[in-house]
Amino acid sequence: MDRNQITKWLKAPAKMANKYSLHVIYFCTGCGIIEIPPVITSRWDAERFGIIPVATPRQANLFLITGYVSVKTLRPIIRTYEQMLEPKYVIGFGSCPINGGMYWDSYNTIKHLDKYIPIDGWIAGCMPRPEAIIIAVTHLWTLIDKEMANGYKKYRENYEAYRKNQEMALGELDWPPLFSVSDKSRGNVQ
Amino acid sequence: MNKSLKEKLESTFKGLRIAVPEESRIAVSAESDNVLAILRFLKDAGFNHLALLSAVDWIEDNVFELCFILTSYMQNDDEVTGRQSLHIILKTKIPRKEPQFKTATGIFPNAEPYEREIHELFGIKFEGHKRLIPLLLERNYEIPPFRKDFDTRKYVKEVFDKIPSVEIEEK
Repeated sequence: MDRNQITKWLKAPAKMANKYSLHVIYFCTGCGIIEIPPVITSRWDAERFGIIPVATPRQANLFLITGYVSVKTLRPIIRTYEQMLEPKYVIGFGSCPINGGMYWDSYNTIKHLDKYIPIDGWIAGCMPRPEAIIIAVTHLWTLIDKEMANGYKKYRENYEAYRKNQEMALGELDWPPLFSVSDKSRGNVQ
Repeated sequence: MNKSLKEKLESTFKGLRIAVPEESRIAVSAESDNVLAILRFLKDAGFNHLALLSAVDWIEDNVFELCFILTSYMQNDDEVTGRQSLHIILKTKIPRKEPQFKTATGIFPNAEPYEREIHELFGIKFEGHKRLIPLLLERNYEIPPFRKDFDTRKYVKEVFDKIPSVEIEEK
C-alpha cells in the first residue's frame, strides 16, 4: 500500500476499499471479449489491481461492455445494469459503443450507448490492447477519488429520460421501471 | 466420381446448367420447380449434409437467387494428397415480387434456421415451414434489411439519430 494514501484510508475507508476491489461483470457482446482472457489470467494478471470477474450482476460493481451492441443485446445490457448494486461503474470498451465505430451505418447496431445507460469511461480503439483495460481502471480510481464517477447517480436522477430513450430503441419494455416514473412523463413516451 | 455425378444429374433432370469451377466444386443452376427433387436426388447420392442455405438479391435482374451448398459427412479432406471433399452448389432463381419458395425442411431438417433467417432478412416466404418466426431481429422493418433497396443510412438517420442524448443537469 502506498504510504501517501494512509490519510485517504483514514478519511473514507469504505470508499477506498470499494475502489480497490472492483468486481467486474463482462458483457461478451462483440469482438472485444477476446482481450479479456489475457487480462484476467497470468499475462496481465488483473487481480493485482483488485479486479476480479464475478458470476452474476448482483455481485458486480464494474460493468465492462466489450464491443458493438446490437439492438437485441441492448435489452440484456439494460437489465444487467439495473440489477447491479450501487455504487456501479460502466466502461465502454472499443470504438463501437462510443459512436458505432465501423458499424456506424448498420441497421441493427446501437450507435451511442450513453443514450441508454450512463457510461463513466470510454476506451477508444479498435481493438484496444489489454493494458488499456488496466489503464482505464486506474483512471476510474482517479474519478472515484474526485467523486466524478457518478454515472449511477445520474441514472437515478435522469431515469425518465433514459427510460424514454430505451423505449424508443426497443419498443415496449417488458420490465417495470427501476425507479418511480411520474405519470406525466410516462404519457409523453407513447 | 465428379464426372459421373455430372452425367447422372444431366440425364435425370432437364434444363440444368452445370459448371465445374474447381476440381472439388460443382455448381448447378436449376429451375425452381426442380430444386426439391434435385435435393432429394443428391441426398440419396450421398450428399447428406446441407452446409448452407443463403440468398442473393439481384435487384437489376429483379430476382432472388437461393443457394444451397451440399456436402457429405463421409468424405474427409485428405491432407496427404491435398484432395478436397466435393461440394455441390445448387442455385435457383425466384421472382423478386412476392417471393415464395417451398421449404426444404422435409429433406434437410437443419434448413429450418436458415429459412427463418432468409425469411426475416430477405422477406422470402417458405411454404410449409412450421415455425417461420423471427430469429435475429428485434425491430420491425418496412423493407427486410438485407434487400438491396433497403437504405441503411436513411434508416439510421430516421431511427437511431432521432434518439436524443440524455442531458445531464449539473448541480
